[in-house]
Amino acid sequence: MAHTRHLTIAVAAAATMLATGLAGCATDRGGAANTSAPPPETGQPITGGTVRLVGSGDIDHLDPTSAYYTATSGILRAYARQLYQLAAQKDPTKAFDVVPDVADGPPQLSADHLTYTIKIRPGVRWDTTPPRDVTAQDFVRGFKRLCNPVAGAGAPGYYTSTIKGMGDYCDAYAKAFAKAEPTAKALADFQNSHDIAGVRAKDDSTIVFTLTQQASDFLNIISLNFASAAPVEYDQYVPDSAQFRQHIISDGPYKITQYVATKSIRLERNTAWQQDSDPIRHQYVSAIEVKEGVSEPDAVQQQMEAGTADLSWDLPVPTAQLPQLKSDPNFHVYDGAVTNPYLVFNLQSKNAGGAMGKLEVRQAIEYAINKVAIGKIYGGKELNTPLNTAIPPGNIGYKPYDPYPTPNDEGDPAKCKSMLAAAGYPNGLTLIGAYRNAGNHPAVFQSYAADLQKCGITVKALPVRQGDYYGAFLQQPSLAKESKWDISAPGWIPDWYGNNGRAVAQPLFQTNCSPGTSNFGCYSSPKVDSLIKQALAEPDQTKAADLWHQVDQQVMADAVIVPFQNQNYPIYHSSRVKNAIYLPAFQLFDVTNLWLDPATP
Amino acid sequence: MTITELRVPAAQVTGRSPWQLAWGRLRTDRVALASAIVIVVLVTLAVCAPLIAAWNGHGPDDQFRDTGITPEGLPVPPGGEFWFGTDRLGRDLFIRVLFGARVSLLVGVVATGMASIVGVVIGLLAGFYGGVVDVILSRLIDVVLSFPYLIFAIAAVSIVGPSLAATVFVIAFYSWAAIARIVRGQTLSIKEREYVEAARSLGASDGRIMFIDILPNLLAPVIVLVTLLIPAAIVFESTLSYLGLGITPPTPSWGNLLSEAQGFYRVAWWYLTLPALTLLLTTLAFNLLGDGIRDAIDPRTERIFSRRRKKK
Repeated sequence: MAHTRHLTIAVAAAATMLATGLAGCATDRGGAANTSAPPPETGQPITGGTVRLVGSGDIDHLDPTSAYYTATSGILRAYARQLYQLAAQKDPTKAFDVVPDVADGPPQLSADHLTYTIKIRPGVRWDTTPPRDVTAQDFVRGFKRLCNPVAGAGAPGYYTSTIKGMGDYCDAYAKAFAKAEPTAKALADFQNSHDIAGVRAKDDSTIVFTLTQQASDFLNIISLNFASAAPVEYDQYVPDSAQFRQHIISDGPYKITQYVATKSIRLERNTAWQQDSDPIRHQYVSAIEVKEGVSEPDAVQQQMEAGTADLSWDLPVPTAQLPQLKSDPNFHVYDGAVTNPYLVFNLQSKNAGGAMGKLEVRQAIEYAINKVAIGKIYGGKELNTPLNTAIPPGNIGYKPYDPYPTPNDEGDPAKCKSMLAAAGYPNGLTLIGAYRNAGNHPAVFQSYAADLQKCGITVKALPVRQGDYYGAFLQQPSLAKESKWDISAPGWIPDWYGNNGRAVAQPLFQTNCSPGTSNFGCYSSPKVDSLIKQALAEPDQTKAADLWHQVDQQVMADAVIVPFQNQNYPIYHSSRVKNAIYLPAFQLFDVTNLWLDPATP
Repeated sequence: MTITELRVPAAQVTGRSPWQLAWGRLRTDRVALASAIVIVVLVTLAVCAPLIAAWNGHGPDDQFRDTGITPEGLPVPPGGEFWFGTDRLGRDLFIRVLFGARVSLLVGVVATGMASIVGVVIGLLAGFYGGVVDVILSRLIDVVLSFPYLIFAIAAVSIVGPSLAATVFVIAFYSWAAIARIVRGQTLSIKEREYVEAARSLGASDGRIMFIDILPNLLAPVIVLVTLLIPAAIVFESTLSYLGLGITPPTPSWGNLLSEAQGFYRVAWWYLTLPALTLLLTTLAFNLLGDGIRDAIDPRTERIFSRRRKKK
């Protein structure tokens, strides 16, 4: 899951089941639509100018192997390329499509769909002196860096669970540096002397992947930042070290010319890059500038309205401003495909007589929540659709149904109360509600706590620092087992959309009660586990979608979470930004496709 | 020449205690009196908050999702139903400001009370015994005074978790040292006076000298300091709550209200302005009253606002 820095509002572009099906089928045939760059919107593109992004914090990592924040991905697109990548598409039904990037067309699949042979596009070059071609070996190096013990990929599981030998390689890598000091030389030596069985460079321009089982989402997996190519020069540095960050080599249209931690990032045109070897990006603006340290969404919004900034780097449009912006031509709302926030139960908790472990109590709570009131916190019903399924629209397995209907989705306290009494709590109970004490989260907490109060459940407030919330709190099952919390409202942004059971239902609902889990309440159902296993191995997308939907049904029958809403994503740009193409996965406009009018400064 | 002088011979000449004299001076200080009235009104409103809430039917945590909030999630402006408007969850802001006053005043008074007791005792011990005791206690005071208070508060609250008790303790911990230092200084000079010598030669115990003979003579500066520390504590509480480290929601405190309102100042002026004005009025009243009391107790200080000065 990509955590946005400010998880107030989450991602995405429109996706009906149709779109999901199409994207899925395309990947299944191994033939991602060979889409070239989108047509310009109006008039001729204007070159030049500096697009100015303003926001709060720094990148999480600058090294493509470990970069995970959505904001980082937005600029990473300009300097690091993968074999496949999300198209920049105005048509929302195509926005989830994975198209060839450095790959010279769709992969060649073996008959058993376990071997992918991919040709490297000629003319893709590193920004070295003199410019050098990007080779298959560079991608192999990228995959080897994935599980380096210093700054590895945030989600190595996608690779270890699909690519042959990747798990063994990563285990060996971790073991080799369990005690040894990870110097640049030691890391490079390990990588150059150990191979991943399933990732092989056949020659300079051919890379071959061997999978352990069929994976219809494999192109999605290798389109993530983690799977970027890495030039041989990277062997000189410890991954993502301060030194590394000053020596990043670009194969995209822009290169990093200045990086000052927590202050600013500047990218300028990469002269080694050639338009005819890049089907996705352009080089319209002459520079991209990120200014950090403005932590108030309001301040960024005002700068964009005044024209002193062009895009927001990592902050959402302030919720309170949304109604006023409706008629502003620079304001856009994109259809959502995320469940954010949702209520998760700690099934391990022993509080209130183990109430959270009791199905009847959880089902009673399913009826209690006023989902329209939660939506008002995020700008009202037009921006937030009440959601009643575990899997939101735009993700595989979504089918609309409502297992716990309430009038207008506004909650039914009386029903909750009577069910609670039947479950053995006629006098109500007290639970601990953990929430992030930043952004909209305290308001969300107070809203659902008021709903639960009406049905006799008192929720004690447990504020958690925003930065600690996931890694140091929810993802620590030991805290769940110690009954430190009973309910909480996290959000979920999948790493990709469409055919993404591996990025949604699997991490959220498959049995996993070890540190770092995203199944925060330690839900475990043999039936769900086996359905997930079948769905991942199922090559037919329609059948797979049906299996994922069965996961949804079982999860909702077990009342593991209370879905609140599907959020649409509001976003703003300054009036001089033209050809703004929204990238649902990054919640940003594509900086490699927009131009500025006027193009000064 | 002045009315006061004319009055004196008219009345029977009677002895007046220093406290009576101070009260007489305070009564003529219009600013201090107005401040006192503001504080009394505020305390009354805070004490009666549950009655007012019961009267207009708006509990402090009741969310009026139909009438108190627009479909787009914006608060509604002040009007007949909601005097101060509503907040982002559709709660009555007037009621929440009143309930916030309960928390803020409680924190201010309790924290300052605890700080005064600790400060007076430590100051007395340090000043009275001197020597090693003084060295140790004075260094302790210096250490506390040299803490960067906000960083210390954030660290402390992060460890124990935000709550009303934690907020009170953090504020008290930071406030006692100022009192202790002043009390120590006063004790040093008072303990050299003849009547203390006399008490000692009569065989009075250390405890009796400290608490019966010296302490009453320290009360004046302590009272002044306390009236000035209460508003500081209220602001401190607001700061902590504003940063999400003080009172946990849904309990309203002024800091919480300000913190919730910060994203809305461009679309809902009342949300930020009214709680902020209440906070300003309260701290101003306490500060001006504190000034007035100081002027009244210590006639040597220059009196800027008092009626007496104007009549010279």
